[in-house]
Amino acid sequence: MKDPYDILGVARSASSADIQKAYRRLAKKLHPDLNPGNKQAEERFKELSIANDILSDADKRKKFDSGEIDALGAEKPRQQYYKDYAAQAGADHQYQNPSGFADFAGADDIFAELFRRQAEQSRRARGPDAHYRLSVEFLDAITGATRRLTLPDGGTLDVTIPPGIQEGQILRLRGKGAPSRGEGEAGDALVEISILLHRFFTRVGDDIHLELPVTLGEAFLGANIKVPTPTGPVMLKVPKGSNTGSVLRLKGKGVPRRGGAGDELVRLKVVLPTGPEPELETFLSKWAPRNYEPRKDMQP
Amino acid sequence: MIISKLEFLSRTQLDQETLEIWIGEQWLVPGETAGEPAFSEIDLARAKLIRDLKHDMGVNNEGIGIILDLLDQVHSLRQALAETLPSKR
Repeated sequence: MKDPYDILGVARSASSADIQKAYRRLAKKLHPDLNPGNKQAEERFKELSIANDILSDADKRKKFDSGEIDALGAEKPRQQYYKDYAAQAGADHQYQNPSGFADFAGADDIFAELFRRQAEQSRRARGPDAHYRLSVEFLDAITGATRRLTLPDGGTLDVTIPPGIQEGQILRLRGKGAPSRGEGEAGDALVEISILLHRFFTRVGDDIHLELPVTLGEAFLGANIKVPTPTGPVMLKVPKGSNTGSVLRLKGKGVPRRGGAGDELVRLKVVLPTGPEPELETFLSKWAPRNYEPRKDMQP
Repeated sequence: MIISKLEFLSRTQLDQETLEIWIGEQWLVPGETAGEPAFSEIDLARAKLIRDLKHDMGVNNEGIGIILDLLDQVHSLRQALAETLPSKR
């Protein structure tokens, strides 16, 4: 906080008449109502009021001089000035006085010019962007595709889906939005992609996860099995002694990405036969396993 | 918000006689309800401005009328301009 003597521009020895004179001189210059629209004047006037509040009161001035109160003094901020009511947009009150410009010969021209400039700007403005949503089949999202979007107005829009597109990704089709109201360019169409679920594939990042049912024999003895991938079936070698939960990796069979592709991770699930199997029954009833304690970890 | 004459006097710390002079000079033009003057926030702010002009700046009575008239012209002009250029505000 500045020194009140500095704010008023008077010496410490100034008489109260000098102080009042200095205050009046500055108040005429800085009063917010005489400077509508000048924030700086408003701030300075606030300082000035506080300074005057201290120095115009003999008692407060003595306390300030002896250091008993600081330069903040007794601040009583004024909330509202006349200007805050008088010039509000849309305000309608008894003190309005348009005689300052009503007789302007050129007033119509000035306002006409302002309106013309605004109209010109909006004429050249780009059209608004149009927002659409497109649901894409799981496999199309991985391999890429072209899909036709039917617009609310009956038109169509061909959307090229790049391989490996992500859920929620937004495709921008330049110039396919709403036309400009004037002569500007049309806006863009923004198509938000949502990817539908697949019957047996799931996508985790760039990898594809697949749970593959296998028979008891395929898991225990090993086998070559035909496995679906997004780009068509491939042969997978299931090693001997595989089990439920074994994960086999098909390199490069996942989601295409810059410089390659993710993998397909195949998780085996052994499925026992459901129909009557007398041979298996006979075998199991006589079977004495050598090392077969699946609940070993649960024992106390 | 309507402010009664009594409340107006207490909030502006004016005496009745001064208020009547100000109204007589048309520095203040309150509304009227049921024969009683009805003031509003703008009258309150305007009264504070008149007080500042008289007491803080030593403007005499002739000067007050001229200043208020010019200020009202400035405000109306600012308002007209603000409504013409809504984006510039």
